[in-house]
Amino acid sequence: MEYNVIIAGVGGQGVVTLGSVIAESAMDARLNVVMSEIHGLSQRGGSVSVEVRIGDVRSPITPAGAADLILGLESIEAFRVLDKANSNTLVLVNSRHMTPVYLSIRGKEYPDIRELARSAGNTARIHFMDAENLAREAGSERAAGTALLGAALSMTSIPFDAHNVHSALEKRFSGRLYDINFDAFERGEKAGIEVLEGRGDYIQAGKAAIGR
Amino acid sequence: MNIYEQVLNGKPGEKALLLGNEAIARGFLEAAVGVAATYPGTPSSEVGDTLSEIAKEGNFYFEVSVNEKVAVEVAYAAAISGLRSFAFMKHVGLNVAADALMSIAYSGVKGGMVIMTADDPSMFSSQNEQDNRHYAELAHMPMIEPSTPQEAKDYLIRAFEISEKLGMPVLFRTTTRVSHMRAPVVLGPKEDRLVMAGSFPGHLAHVTLPSFSIKSRKALTVRLEHAGVISQQTDLNRLEVFGNGEYGFITSGSAYNSLVDVIRKHSIGAEILKVGMSNPLPEERIASFLMNHDYIFVVEELDPYLEQKVRVIAQREGIPVLLHGKLDRTFPEEFEYNADVIERSLAEPLKLKLEVHEVPMVVQQVPPRPPVLCPGCPHRATYYAVKRAVRMSGIKDVTYSSDIGCYSLGAYEPFEMADVLLEMGGSLGAASGLGKLTGSHVIAFVGDSTFFHAGMPALVNAVRNGSRLMLVVLDNSTTAMTGQQTNPGLPYDGMGNPAKPVSIEEMIRSTGVQNVETVDPYDLKAFLPAVMRSLKSEGVSAVVARRECAILRDRELRKGKTMPVYVVDTKKCGLCMNCVTNFSCPAIDIKDGHISIDPDLCDGCGVCSQPMVCPFNAIIPGVRNGI
Repeated sequence: MEYNVIIAGVGGQGVVTLGSVIAESAMDARLNVVMSEIHGLSQRGGSVSVEVRIGDVRSPITPAGAADLILGLESIEAFRVLDKANSNTLVLVNSRHMTPVYLSIRGKEYPDIRELARSAGNTARIHFMDAENLAREAGSERAAGTALLGAALSMTSIPFDAHNVHSALEKRFSGRLYDINFDAFERGEKAGIEVLEGRGDYIQAGKAAIGR
Repeated sequence: MNIYEQVLNGKPGEKALLLGNEAIARGFLEAAVGVAATYPGTPSSEVGDTLSEIAKEGNFYFEVSVNEKVAVEVAYAAAISGLRSFAFMKHVGLNVAADALMSIAYSGVKGGMVIMTADDPSMFSSQNEQDNRHYAELAHMPMIEPSTPQEAKDYLIRAFEISEKLGMPVLFRTTTRVSHMRAPVVLGPKEDRLVMAGSFPGHLAHVTLPSFSIKSRKALTVRLEHAGVISQQTDLNRLEVFGNGEYGFITSGSAYNSLVDVIRKHSIGAEILKVGMSNPLPEERIASFLMNHDYIFVVEELDPYLEQKVRVIAQREGIPVLLHGKLDRTFPEEFEYNADVIERSLAEPLKLKLEVHEVPMVVQQVPPRPPVLCPGCPHRATYYAVKRAVRMSGIKDVTYSSDIGCYSLGAYEPFEMADVLLEMGGSLGAASGLGKLTGSHVIAFVGDSTFFHAGMPALVNAVRNGSRLMLVVLDNSTTAMTGQQTNPGLPYDGMGNPAKPVSIEEMIRSTGVQNVETVDPYDLKAFLPAVMRSLKSEGVSAVVARRECAILRDRELRKGKTMPVYVVDTKKCGLCMNCVTNFSCPAIDIKDGHISIDPDLCDGCGVCSQPMVCPFNAIIPGVRNGI
């Protein structure tokens, strides 16, 4: 068994923290897990991706095309790591937009995400999700990643379950932060079910229904 | 239980999800080491961050030294006094410590001493990807290399045992992917710590004058021969068989992990000789390994270090073997190895069937997002002010000499204020030469920690030799890029105890520099004229731009929930674009044709609201909804 998760975002968004929650969840399910972290130069503001590999693997680096799940904490960052995706990869993209300074300096605005999604076509199963809002309802935007994880757990089969995530959250957070993350996770789970049932304000890339 | 508590109090047999560097800190406790010294550097920094947190409760001494050379010397002092000691740094840090290292091999130690170097293949956060295995050969020191966090912890303990057995330091080499790999680690027992008081090293016992070194030279050879016997017997070097074991693989470190994944994926019949002790090598074991296989692949990152040695053994023993590595171009010479790289390299010789995986077009369409100075970073204000001041002074010919730290990002747009950037302290050394030998206006940028690290001797050199330069010290009162460690300018030490800060201004003045001004980079109105005055000076002048790192400031503000925020009054905004084009804070962007500030990113520094950035006074304080 091998299950590869990639978390993409911008330095400072809690990419490493979300990776740790997933890795702890896998460990709680008594699975082997290895994770690669990024530290140093891009502490804040740069593209950051963290990889969590679960199961019978040794290297923390996911081979090209081998990702099973991609969680994008920032919209365009999810697209940046699509070289690791295949047509079965589930990609959940948060609604958070952070304009790269590279664009602002050139007088340009944030790119049209729908166009990127069209361009991605059937590269992967891409879903947009307002995890930012789910997390805000739970108490803090910073829990958006936890909401995405909840949604992923409802939408695809991951080799651990909600109980494992609960105990991982308990390990990583305490007090109010734990409550917020627990709530965000549950809201994410519900949102994921709504997507599966075709309800809710969620969009799937590569389909004609794009746009909102 | 947080990670630090787990490292400190985790019970034997417990499994903890640890970063390689955190596992090393746990190994430090399990080996009952008394003294640790470092200068922070990615990818080694989290070892120190962990030790710093647990030093008091763990009852050992931890020091953030002024630079790597001094860190090694402090650890050496402990080791010749009979204490176990550990010095650790990034790979280029070992260059700084190399002078001490070469002589320490001759001197020998009493207590176990381990020196860790964290190499950085693919240069995630370094200026080069030098292969520090060569230092083991150069210094005649044993070297040990782990592949995983578990091995990092366990092998560190072994390294101390070997060091004490041989009476000499042992080098311990990780790479980014080992130091920054997180995986389950089974904890071992912690030994009870003795009070850490060293004893007298011995009369004339550690002198390396020529007449002394001539005697210790032969002893060094003998020590290394003993190390060779250890390497021959140790399970740090081990064999692993896959399938029929047909092909022989010699590998080490992070490359081992990826290689195993490839062997399993393609069901390659393989036998691996995993080298955990890479100096001296187990030569006889390698010879018999070569005899047992018709085909050998040496899979290693960076230089063909193992390969060259293995080829020598094959030649010397007259073993006819087909050997593939970097020298015959089977494997690439540069950058880190992952499963994709190894698979591609083995595809032809082993006739592997590879799935074609093309990078999807959309990846190319995503705009780049290189690292940037944080919102509220005082360095942004400093670069902005200096650039303006240079222009307003009418100076056309200017050379920027920069250094290592967050402010290295000043080399990127919009500032592009780095014409030279080599190594720690190099800004002042290069500026000393440029200011003496060119007619250009030379401006040297250096951070507070880097100034102490290696900037000071170069400043003395510039003054002493009559160079003309303007020094800008970007003092953010921390060692920011590596994770906010302490430095000699701060009122606390590595243990978190109060310490006497060293004044940067007084140090500069003591060299004879007369024009030294201290400014707050947030105060552009005062900063600009200060730089203009300094630029008029003959000889060496200095501006100390002092303002605390925004990450530290934000942490404090968030605690008090008083973080201000700024907004754009679009009626006043003249859309001159200066704020996005020339100031370029990541919190400011353009939305639907208007300038806007992202409240989640804005840290409320307010520098953008000053007329020197926004001539329309359109950026004004706003109200934040929660933090």
